[in-house]
Amino acid sequence: MEATKMASPKSAPKDAQVMAQILKDMGITEYEPRVINQMLEFAYRYVTTILEDAKIYSSHAKKSSVDADDVRLAIQCRTDQSFTSPPPRDFLLDIARQKNQTPLPLIKPYSGPRLPPDRYCLTAPNYRLKSLQKKVSSTAGRITVPRLSVGAVSSRPSTPTLGTPSAQTVSVSAKVGAPVSLAGQRFTVQIPSSQPAGKSATPTTPTVQNVLINPSLIGPKNILITTNMVPPGAADPNPLKRKHEDDDDYDAL
Amino acid sequence: EALLGRGTSAAAVAIGGNVATVATSSPGVAAVAAVPPGKGESRGDCGVGSSSWQEPRKAGSPVSSPSSKITHSGDVSIGGAVVVEDQPDVSAVLSAYNQQGDPTLYEEYYSGLKHFIECSLDCHRAELSQLFYPLFVHMYLELVYNQHESEAKSFFERFHGDQECYYQDDLRVLSSLTKKEHMKGNETMLDFRTSKFVLRISRDSYQLLKRHLQEKQNNQIWNIVQEHLYIDIFDGMPRSKQQIDAMVGSLAGEAKREANKAKVFFGLLKEPEFDVPLDDEDEEGENEEGKPKKKKPKKDNVGSKSKKQDPNAPPQNRIPLPELKDSDKLDKVMNMKEAARRVRLGPECLPSICFYTFLNAYQGLTAVDITDDSSMIVGGFADSTVRVWSVTPKKLRSVKTAADLSLIDKESDDVLERIMDEKTASELKILYGHSGPVYGTSFSPDRNYLLSCSEDGTVRLWSLQTFTCLVGYKGHNYPVWDTQFSPYGYYFVSGGHDRVARLWATDHYQPLRIFAGHLADVTCTRFHPNSNYIATGSADRTIRLWDVLNGNCVRIFTGHKGPIHSLAFSPNGRFLATGATDGRVLLWDIGHGLMVGELKGHTDTIYALRFSRDGEILASGSMDNTVRLWDAVKAFEDLETDDFTTATGHINLPENSQDLLLGTYMTKSTPVVHLHFTRRNLLLAAGAYSSQ
Repeated sequence: MEATKMASPKSAPKDAQVMAQILKDMGITEYEPRVINQMLEFAYRYVTTILEDAKIYSSHAKKSSVDADDVRLAIQCRTDQSFTSPPPRDFLLDIARQKNQTPLPLIKPYSGPRLPPDRYCLTAPNYRLKSLQKKVSSTAGRITVPRLSVGAVSSRPSTPTLGTPSAQTVSVSAKVGAPVSLAGQRFTVQIPSSQPAGKSATPTTPTVQNVLINPSLIGPKNILITTNMVPPGAADPNPLKRKHEDDDDYDAL
Repeated sequence: EALLGRGTSAAAVAIGGNVATVATSSPGVAAVAAVPPGKGESRGDCGVGSSSWQEPRKAGSPVSSPSSKITHSGDVSIGGAVVVEDQPDVSAVLSAYNQQGDPTLYEEYYSGLKHFIECSLDCHRAELSQLFYPLFVHMYLELVYNQHESEAKSFFERFHGDQECYYQDDLRVLSSLTKKEHMKGNETMLDFRTSKFVLRISRDSYQLLKRHLQEKQNNQIWNIVQEHLYIDIFDGMPRSKQQIDAMVGSLAGEAKREANKAKVFFGLLKEPEFDVPLDDEDEEGENEEGKPKKKKPKKDNVGSKSKKQDPNAPPQNRIPLPELKDSDKLDKVMNMKEAARRVRLGPECLPSICFYTFLNAYQGLTAVDITDDSSMIVGGFADSTVRVWSVTPKKLRSVKTAADLSLIDKESDDVLERIMDEKTASELKILYGHSGPVYGTSFSPDRNYLLSCSEDGTVRLWSLQTFTCLVGYKGHNYPVWDTQFSPYGYYFVSGGHDRVARLWATDHYQPLRIFAGHLADVTCTRFHPNSNYIATGSADRTIRLWDVLNGNCVRIFTGHKGPIHSLAFSPNGRFLATGATDGRVLLWDIGHGLMVGELKGHTDTIYALRFSRDGEILASGSMDNTVRLWDAVKAFEDLETDDFTTATGHINLPENSQDLLLGTYMTKSTPVVHLHFTRRNLLLAAGAYSSQ
């Protein structure tokens, strides 16, 4: 923390001076100058929130004006919601006693990387490939999988961003941290045949022209392909059927 | 809520001016009769250390009304155990609380006691002065809790200047607690109110005090003393102010002698026997004929090739430990070869120090760790990234993608090299995943995993082979301040703002052990070299040693005057060095449970402590931009730890900081955040340059 120069009293507004005094009283002597701004902003926001809540409570109680009880209630509710404090000591001692009674589990030898069950790990793929473009493939077995460029940094969790509909290849941005290897991962590629509207679980995904799966990329048994080989002009395939496929997707993953 | 059916051993209830103390010496009494007010003998001793506090059990959840919380003010928590009070009629206690002394007269009581203590004999005055601070705080908190604001304010104004300088931070916090509502969110203050402050006073001083307080007119303050203080009496010379100052400072007073009586297995586990293949190039000057294969005794614990078990070492299977894999064995062989080349350090031969300065960190470097073989360094940053660098010329490589893996020849000899991807090899790998500043990092001993803990409440396990995140361990819902892998891998410990430390195993998504007992945040957690014990340093200024097997607190060390930020076990497992914001390094004998040394010299928080590989030198790094080297051998030799001194609970600390200081090394403007001795006893230090 850099030492701060005291803002000259002429230029700092009164609130800032008060805040500086508060910091001094609490024993904080070294702080960046922006801390005062942050603290003032926090104070303003907090008080506004409390007073707004208090207004709501007092109007709910059909009172003519806000009084101390409303404010007290507002403070209490906000404290329970935003400013939670750690559990009280007796509770901690209690759960500690319970937890410490069970003996330490034995360690199985030769079990490879010791990780929790998969559902508690972050090793599962967090994306699912779906191609939505209806395109009747000439041969049943020829389906293209989009070329993945995993490893792109993206902060959006699980929305695969696919390329433009006309692109032949698609890049999926996955959360960084997903393993690069696809071996052993099951994923489903759905090739719905009707119009794209309202089809998939992710309606925002644009469609892909064709999907080719490189068999060496994925193990022979790992791909679940559902192709609805319905001719273009046909009505929606059985929605129930698709739903079942959707369920399959989730089960497979 | 009735507290019947729980075992108690001793209880003290202050009712209506009389002190009713019920002490049962048989452990685990099944039913406790409610003590009606007014009855019961007045034992006069408020919980003398010789009473039996065996197997106290925790009471049921506290009653909801705030006044009944007062009855728990007699509860004592020692390392997880709480003594239950008898709880007679709630209403009787309610009225009793108010009668416990007129709030308007608190100032009179306090000044009366102050006058008495100041007029007492010199030899007793230092010890009796210990009463000032806890009484002041407790009385102030009682006034605030019962909403006597004006009395509380004037009480504070009048007496806060008399307190010791090392309590100033606490007093500042107290000065901001003026209403009952302020206390509600502050768990530390609430715990302080409901626990008993422990004082250690010699028998003579205690008799003096008791005689004075039991006079009729001092009855009220006697009640207050009994309600809030636990006086642990020892037989021996009264302590001098200097001795007392060395050991007080924590939020809960000192440690009772019983708290430090449990047997601790501080010895090291036996290393497995190896056949070390001797390379000719390593052994210059050996005879030509092949030597019989035998393990070189490099570490002192290995010196005992006898079959006798070290009585102070835990049994090998006391806690389950992972078996040694082949790669671990190879690593151990490397370790022993390096140990053969190790420099013997001492006052005549100080280590060279190599400093790794993090540039352009913009004050964001919050955690550093270095692998045991000094090949990688990791930095945890306030922008929530974890960055891993390779210290050696060998770059960091991750495993190839599945596509490429299927193309390699699995039968070739160097398959382990081929699975690594050369195209993305780099010196730096950045790991993203946390959503808050990363406060602690730890490499696993086999260098396959990295742990990081953060303000977002999670501890993340990263793979150093794919440089991706494997698991997020959620348990602390509040910032986690420190984490560390066990020296054998598999287990790790974390400590955080929720005042507990947790023991985890990498393959369990929930903690295996919860170590609860600290009054404030757990800021530092370290494993003992034998992995059977965990030391935790806390913002309540105590260090606790916990047993991994059953979660019990086996040692409490008090003496620091500020939150503890660094802990280091000596390589032989017998001693612990601790550093805090008060700039002192304290040395503790684990077996006896005593403070055995105090190293003064640093002027700011000590964030890094490390013993050299054979325990001859202790290095400390601090925010005052220096690294200091201390003579550990001299600090620990000739300790007078016989039965007599351990009975009193303290030994005379020699004033030898200057003699033990071997060197002070200043950096230009870089606080030292981490220290690490390589296998050959070169000292590595790390810190972030702060342009100041």
